Amino acid sequence: MTVAILASDLVKSYTPGLRALDGVSLQVTSGEVLVVMGPSGSGKSTLIRTFNGLETLDSGELDVLGVRLDAAHEERQVRAIRRRVGMVFQQFNLFPHLSILENITLAPIKVQKRSKPDAAARAIALLDQMGIGEQAHKFPAQLSGGQQQRVAIARALALDPEVMLFDEPTSALDPERVKEVLDAMRQLAKRGMTMVVVTHELGFAREVADRVMFMDQGQVVETSDPQTFFTSAREERSRRFLSQMM
Amino acid sequence: MRRRNLFIQLGISIALLALLGLLINNLAVNLIRTGLGLGFGWLARPAGFALAESALPFTPSDSYLWALTIGWLNSLKVIVAGLVLATVLGVAAGAARSSGNRLLSSLAGGYVALIRQVPLLLQLLFWYFVAFLGLPAAPMGGLIKLSNQGIQLLGLNLSVEFCAVLVGLTVFTGASIAEIVRGGINAVPRGQWEAFRSLGLAEGLGLRRIVLPQALPAILPALTSQYLNLAKNSTLAIAVGYADLYAVSDTTITQTGRAIEGFLLLLLSFLLLNLLISGGMAAFNSAVLGRLNRSR
Amino acid sequence: MNRWLDRSITLLILALIGWAGWSLLHWLLVGADWSVVTTNLPLYAVGSFPADQRWRPLLWMAVLITLTLLTLVGPKRGWVRRWLPLAWIAMAPLGLWLLAGGLGLLPVGTRSWGGLTLTLLLTGGSGALALPLGILLALGRRSDLPVLRWSSAGYIELMRAVPLIAVLFFGQLLIPLFLPPGLEINRVLRAVVAFALFAAAYIAEDVRGGLQAIPPTQREAAAVLGLSPVQTLQLVVLPQALRIALPSLTNQAVGLLQNTSLMAILGLVELLGISRSLLANPAFIGRYLEVYLWLAAVYWLACTAMALLARHLEFQLDPVRSSR
Repeated sequence: MTVAILASDLVKSYTPGLRALDGVSLQVTSGEVLVVMGPSGSGKSTLIRTFNGLETLDSGELDVLGVRLDAAHEERQVRAIRRRVGMVFQQFNLFPHLSILENITLAPIKVQKRSKPDAAARAIALLDQMGIGEQAHKFPAQLSGGQQQRVAIARALALDPEVMLFDEPTSALDPERVKEVLDAMRQLAKRGMTMVVVTHELGFAREVADRVMFMDQGQVVETSDPQTFFTSAREERSRRFLSQMM
Repeated sequence: MRRRNLFIQLGISIALLALLGLLINNLAVNLIRTGLGLGFGWLARPAGFALAESALPFTPSDSYLWALTIGWLNSLKVIVAGLVLATVLGVAAGAARSSGNRLLSSLAGGYVALIRQVPLLLQLLFWYFVAFLGLPAAPMGGLIKLSNQGIQLLGLNLSVEFCAVLVGLTVFTGASIAEIVRGGINAVPRGQWEAFRSLGLAEGLGLRRIVLPQALPAILPALTSQYLNLAKNSTLAIAVGYADLYAVSDTTITQTGRAIEGFLLLLLSFLLLNLLISGGMAAFNSAVLGRLNRSR
Repeated sequence: MNRWLDRSITLLILALIGWAGWSLLHWLLVGADWSVVTTNLPLYAVGSFPADQRWRPLLWMAVLITLTLLTLVGPKRGWVRRWLPLAWIAMAPLGLWLLAGGLGLLPVGTRSWGGLTLTLLLTGGSGALALPLGILLALGRRSDLPVLRWSSAGYIELMRAVPLIAVLFFGQLLIPLFLPPGLEINRVLRAVVAFALFAAAYIAEDVRGGLQAIPPTQREAAAVLGLSPVQTLQLVVLPQALRIALPSLTNQAVGLLQNTSLMAILGLVELLGISRSLLANPAFIGRYLEVYLWLAAVYWLACTAMALLARHLEFQLDPVRSSR
């Protein structure tokens, strides 16, 4: 078992005196699926965004795939990490002026310097995997939310990342579109991808997660296996949260 | 990271300063070569040219400074009159474009489409050489006496040059203002129109009292930039021989060879004009917004 | 009451339009003397370009018109489509070569350049310089580096505060003063530089508007994929920002074309300048209305063609509409 992400005592505040991350420590081993839950404003999005340098830390130590990302990290280190860590956002964030195919092949061609045909073939294969192979030549605005989010997953996977980060990937979707995205994520987990997923989808957490981490007010309240978390959570705050969700 | 940014900034500053230094050095070399030097003493010397039009007494023996002041006043005169008339024309045309009368709205649309695709300078020349110089030599009309010597309006004597610049600026700027007003009116929800109609208010009254006040916050910023454009465009007056600030500066620079100083004064005068206009508009803006907020 | 008023206004306007239209038509056909236009068509087109070399500016304008039509019709063949942007980019250097000569062509001094050719060359040349400069200024104004931000903002605001004629005058009179003594650049080039320096400030503000409309999440998405800041700008942010700014950039381009007429005041014989010198000719004295109407028609056509081209481009750049 190798360690993918190792964090100890992460602290981050946007406004002085108010800590979005208040001493968070955790460990993600490779091949593991960690689901992060918690009420809004609990710091879970901030946490996941520190893993690829979208947020800088005030203090604490963070090690992602063997690269240190602490308070004084270098731009070059961050870029090195981003090539190996994929991310999927709540709002998809596809590039509206590029076709689906171009969205996916942009980074492989420009960052990894792959040949165009090579990158395109890989992109088509990924789109087929996501069940939207026939959409390759359309533009983002022509796709449904669920399709766009699957494109976003394919775009992240095209760089062959070692870790995938999901920041509330189904929160912006119509309820009937949620399943298609979760199915794609489930498949990914089955193939052994290391995943950190911020989500409110209890079913997904129960079924796919190896561990569930519950956060509140910038702190980790508890981390358990899903069985324990959903049936007999240790902490009062976790139980209150779960009762509100169900 | 932060240190690298500091170095980049230092580099940019040095490059900018070097460029500036090079330009100033070249300027100094050229000024020494022509034996001019820099200074503003010439401003006190007699101008030696006459001005066709002046709001205050001016003779050729007066100083350059006084000549430039007269030019500035002439500019101010045509700009202020232009602002008022262009606003009236623009609001009328803009309201006509969004009115229910199809003929009226297409007429206003034609006006906007035609005027905005033809250079202002060409329009000014048209108003001067064709419209105003084409008037008969003997005065005609009663309250307003028209002739190619000038316009007499209720005892007010206006030169042909002034009138040409004023009409040209008004018609040109009015077209742009019409577009802004139309955009602003269209941004007011249709429900507001239906509301005042259902109250039995007449179209014109509803437009004036209900729709336009709500459109104002969206209109005012764009209007300010049109006013600034009008002020800048007034410098084209030189083409028809109206003695505005730019025309007087041009003559002054040609006579004295003081290009740098003349240009600096022109720049300062325009900054002052711009400040006057945007300051006035800002005050008006806050007054209007304040009233709207109070009435809510 | 209201409807009655509406109808009488309509009738009144119709009568006015009818009367104006009739008198205009009568004047156009009977009253006007169009010889000032018809006998001087070559002058309007190419100025006082040497008669045996006139084919050069005429060829350039013919290529320009062909290219415009070709673009508007929207060719179906892929290779034509692919070469069109390149052809447009090549138009400015091609025009410069055809007019100035050299490389196998007889050199022709800029004093002989004029008419519509010069108008179009001034527009194209200064536009081609102003666009990249404007983009750089817009990026500078949004930079994280205060020095860059302040100097860009200072330049933009200063340029936008002064009238164009003053900048052009500055260009003609003062640019030589700021250059090293032996170096002289000719009047046309000075005009192009002055136009470009002026237009860049306005373009910068339009581009800045476009940049502001791009949500920061687009940058984030690009960063997460490992794109460098420069790549993010070039591949993700600028293409979108320029597309958003396109309508206002079109207005700037049309304005630039119209504003080239100001060079007539400063002594270049572009379209308006050549007309002024024609009107000073005793043979055509007093023919103002004919000349101005003719010029208005030419400018109107050129401006409208530009606006149409821009709208076409807008349509082409809209991925969803053009892929249908």
